[in-house]
Amino acid sequence: MKKIIDILTSVLFAAFLFAFAIAFVLTPDADFSEEENRSLRTFPKFTWERLLDGSFSSDINEYFADQFPARDSLVGIKGVTETLLLKGENNGVLLGDDGQLAVRLFDAYKSRLERTHDMDYYYTENVALAVDALNAFAKSSAVPVTTMLPPRSVDVAVSAFDYPTEISDALDAQLAESIVPEAGYLTDLRAQMESRYAAGEYVYFRTDHHWTTYGAYIAYTMLMREWGMEDEIIPQDAFTVETVERFYGTTWSRAGYKFVGPDTLELWSLGSEDGFTTTCYAEKQVKGEDGKPANVKEAYKTFPGWLNRDYLAKKDKYAAFLDSTHNEQTVFKNDGKDHPRLLIAKDSFANTMVPFLAQHFDLVIVNLAGRMTDLTSYVEEYGCDRVLIVWNRANLIENNILAAIK
Amino acid sequence: MVFSSLLFLFAYLPVTLLLYYNIPNIRYRNWILFIMSLLFYGWGEPLYILVMLASITEAYVFGFFIAKHLPTNRKRARLYMILSLAMNLAALLFFKYCNFFIENLRLLPFLTDTIAPIEGLKLPIGISFYTFQIMSYTIDLYRGQTDVQKNFVAFGTYVTLFPQLIAGPIVRYRDVDDQLMTRTETFDLFGSGTRRFVTGLAKKVLIGDAAAAYYEYFKATDAFADSAAGAWMVMIFYTIHIYYDFSGYSDMAIGLGRMFGFRFLENFNYPYISKSITEFWRRWHMSLGTWFKEYVYIPLGGNRVGKLKQYRNIAVVWLLTGFWHGANWNYIFWGVYFGVILMAEKTFLLKFLKKLPSAVQHLYSLLLIGFGWIIFSFTDAAAGISCFASLFGIGTSTFCTPTIAYQILRSLPLLVIGAIGATPLPKKIWDKLCTVDWTHIGAIREDGNEEPIRMEQTFLPVRGKIFAVLTTAGTFALLVACTAYLVDSTFSPFLYFIF
Repeated sequence: MKKIIDILTSVLFAAFLFAFAIAFVLTPDADFSEEENRSLRTFPKFTWERLLDGSFSSDINEYFADQFPARDSLVGIKGVTETLLLKGENNGVLLGDDGQLAVRLFDAYKSRLERTHDMDYYYTENVALAVDALNAFAKSSAVPVTTMLPPRSVDVAVSAFDYPTEISDALDAQLAESIVPEAGYLTDLRAQMESRYAAGEYVYFRTDHHWTTYGAYIAYTMLMREWGMEDEIIPQDAFTVETVERFYGTTWSRAGYKFVGPDTLELWSLGSEDGFTTTCYAEKQVKGEDGKPANVKEAYKTFPGWLNRDYLAKKDKYAAFLDSTHNEQTVFKNDGKDHPRLLIAKDSFANTMVPFLAQHFDLVIVNLAGRMTDLTSYVEEYGCDRVLIVWNRANLIENNILAAIK
Repeated sequence: MVFSSLLFLFAYLPVTLLLYYNIPNIRYRNWILFIMSLLFYGWGEPLYILVMLASITEAYVFGFFIAKHLPTNRKRARLYMILSLAMNLAALLFFKYCNFFIENLRLLPFLTDTIAPIEGLKLPIGISFYTFQIMSYTIDLYRGQTDVQKNFVAFGTYVTLFPQLIAGPIVRYRDVDDQLMTRTETFDLFGSGTRRFVTGLAKKVLIGDAAAAYYEYFKATDAFADSAAGAWMVMIFYTIHIYYDFSGYSDMAIGLGRMFGFRFLENFNYPYISKSITEFWRRWHMSLGTWFKEYVYIPLGGNRVGKLKQYRNIAVVWLLTGFWHGANWNYIFWGVYFGVILMAEKTFLLKFLKKLPSAVQHLYSLLLIGFGWIIFSFTDAAAGISCFASLFGIGTSTFCTPTIAYQILRSLPLLVIGAIGATPLPKKIWDKLCTVDWTHIGAIREDGNEEPIRMEQTFLPVRGKIFAVLTTAGTFALLVACTAYLVDSTFSPFLYFIF
């Protein structure tokens, strides 16, 4: 009997190794992983130099891992195993009630350049630098500034987790204390979202780090009140809601909890969006008249409304709003009239607010994450009447981009 | 290359097995092992193959000289042995310790500007391990405890054999001498090797790496400096991590060796159940302990000299043991730390300890081992001292924060698994299950005894089948789980690489 076990074990072991080895050879290489939303490594370039300095072999390691058969299913098996080991989270993502996910651990920066690894801690000095820049900009700005710092899922879905809120609270307190009144900081955004979440409202996605369209609507109403435009708020029931099922967000991909079900993405509209046009701009270098290179702004993409519906069929459905990420965009009404202009300096949290804000303003949208930080020049160029800064707290903690605005 | 990588498991290993088992002749099988081991070694840094080959060639050639002169001119043979050892040690000293010496010499004011560290000098992986293996051959040869190896490939295979090449166990030449040219690969050996390998992989990937992540977390958040609980967690999880990482690696090495017909000696024997530090060092990294005992301690006179010399011998051995682990002061201090404890135990402490309840003896040992790991894991002395002080609440601002409490709570299951897994308990339970005849449980015994019927043999027909399936399924499940973790993380370097 001992012998049978040994034969069985030996054969199974070898079969397992060879099965994957053969499957690896037989399956064609993929260029992109939708699950991970990134390019996969393909077979690296061979040179003798690269072999000798070890970069070829380290690329091969990555290539082999990226193209490994059944990669996604195996990631799922790890998620299940971690759950069985009662760890309560996987890859830095908390698993809460009703399949609520939230990133707990962040990339944190010790200084402007030195990245430390994942941690749930933030450097108060870094946030202070960002706030200094924000304050300076708000004081010098010729037009009113409003600042919205959307909380992270972990700050909002507090009731779904055992995770303590001391860090979220500390960040809250620091922001409330240090941001000057000129910056128009919406202090009670987190409290609003947190209490609505606790009351069972669908303000944040379970599987994605963004707020839902409904969450964005709440944020919009708060903004309108802040601006004294309370009377113009479009009531919720005026919108028709189209739902897109099976939305698996970024947090879900990172978590590896394949057993957590999808979210529903909502598209809110007041009938047709054809009355609006979105235009994307980029700077292009051309030869000027004097022969020297000069930068010229060029519209490279224009489409009606603000949605690119192609994304709705893909995994990254949130990207439908504003056609994913562009550094400089305008969303204008086609009626030829003059509307007040709003400059939105933002990350992706602002994308779902566009359907609401576009009803009241002509929008000039610049992507802070793409380091479009010279806001004063955009205000002048487009003749904006207001500035809205939308910058998620994960970004605030993780990078130093906001510290560069002027 | 590392064992806990997808490339090793699903490309390198199947190819090596395929080539190896399709060649009938052991000479060519050694060729395969030799070449594949060089590939394994050179995968990250190909140029260092040359360093290793030079060491091998040197010892191989000098082996002839030693063997030639040994019967007639012992002094001559001794000279060749010393020359050979010197060359081997020179390579180790140069690559591993050179910059450490330079940097410390630079602390002398008149040398600061005259010497500079050599730039771009990287440590060839496993050099500490293979240098010691080669030295064991040279010394054993001189002592007449083994014969000269005339086959270069066989000798090269001994040194480069990929299972133990980069992180041990340190296999003495005379322990595998006869296996190099005659060994039989059987299903018996392969099956037990597979189980051993998978166990080791699981120890490393499922427990060792997870403990490392917790350790890193508590260390990175500076939790150890602010909170006493955080400092304890740093110590506890490093203690778990290093055992599962290193003993897991040894298990994998032993298992892989068996797959190719080799039988290596054990390297760990439940070190954390020790009742004294003396016992701990008989159970931890046994191949290194044996090496130092055999080739340093005993040649210096060992125990058979006067008291004073005995202490000198212990001091030398532990200074070297510490320094072997890394070219940094903390490793030297770590060695000295254990040297002092061992001397104290030898003189009076051991006698005193034996009178205490065994729980106290365990606690004493575990604490001293844990303190040792703090010295070991902090190359930055100031941080290490701060962590040590925090254990006792010195310099901390709080005992625990809610976030640290949360982290501790969620790491508890791993802590419990890690603690139980470091004792012989799981093996005992398993063995017991295997010897209980489950087909008779519930049945009334004719002799009126209520104990279940116990079988003499480990596996008997009916129940044997159940355990055959269970054992195999368990091994397979662990293998799948490890693969899943490797896919998920992709990158998990072995800690013992740096030595």
